[in-house]
Amino acid sequence: MNNKDFRTRLKIAKKEFAKNHPSENNKKGYFMGSAFRLGTELVAAVVVGTIIGFILDNWFDTKPWLIIIFFFFGVFAGIINVIRVAKNMQKED
Amino acid sequence: MHQFQVYKIGPEIKLGSVDLSFTNASLFMLISAFTICLFLFLGSKKKSIIPDRVQLIAELFYNFIAKMISDTAGSKAKPYFPFIFCLFMFVLLCNMIGMLPYSFTVTSHIIVTLVMALFIFIAVTVIGFLKHGFKYLSLFVPKGVPVVLLPLITVIEIISYLSRPVSLSVRLFANMMAGHTMLKVFGSFVISLGLLGGWLPLSFSVALTGLEILVAFLQAYVFAILTCIYLNDALNLHH
Repeated sequence: MNNKDFRTRLKIAKKEFAKNHPSENNKKGYFMGSAFRLGTELVAAVVVGTIIGFILDNWFDTKPWLIIIFFFFGVFAGIINVIRVAKNMQKED
Repeated sequence: MHQFQVYKIGPEIKLGSVDLSFTNASLFMLISAFTICLFLFLGSKKKSIIPDRVQLIAELFYNFIAKMISDTAGSKAKPYFPFIFCLFMFVLLCNMIGMLPYSFTVTSHIIVTLVMALFIFIAVTVIGFLKHGFKYLSLFVPKGVPVVLLPLITVIEIISYLSRPVSLSVRLFANMMAGHTMLKVFGSFVISLGLLGGWLPLSFSVALTGLEILVAFLQAYVFAILTCIYLNDALNLHH
């Protein structure tokens, strides 16, 4: 069996294999990964927003206000992040 | 808890005010790195057409990461394959070695995961600026937003961008730490309930160990795939 012959046979076998085994397992892992993402994605944005608000408050001496505003910015950012991940999951479906 | 304690091994090494002593965390990082090297060395030693077991697993890992990168970040991300492969293998091995009794889980400490996440974050930002120049900042200005809302959205986008290293590191650290704590709690139930009632938490412990092994793999996968996704944002702006 020469090299070229082997390659064409490999190609055919691979095509045949892909037809019979759609990458179901891989997809499942991907979705599980996305599910693990959702929770922390929401929390992290809120934490980062609040920290930014805290730092800016110390800079400008506007004690309670910026931390409140940036907390809500953080919440929005978190919600947007979660929506993005969820949209990606739907697209892959 | 005892299993999360970091202690020094050997003499104390100080460089100025920085403590560089060799700890059990460093030891287990070295063990993970060494295991990866040994495994890949054995896997790539023979290079036979019909692979033996070690070669098969090594090739499986290679294909897995190569496919993940080409699926999520496209062909432009090919040069970053070695980095992502190293990252995935290191996190995976740290998680898995942490599952062995009497071992130390390096990834259950936030400082370790945060350093990795910050390195990725800074690297991706630098790559983005190198590839696109100041146009990279357009990542923060989504298309089709009314002018009135633009400043608001930009601030939110910047917060969302800055939250990446936090979510990346906290996810890995929290999952590993929570899992190990849960195993410890169920383990202590077995002792306190004794020979009569201890069987129920013991069975839970066995089931949780299985779950932890799944989580260990999955978290390494998530860490690597998120690196790919961030890299994709930096390489292919708007698509």
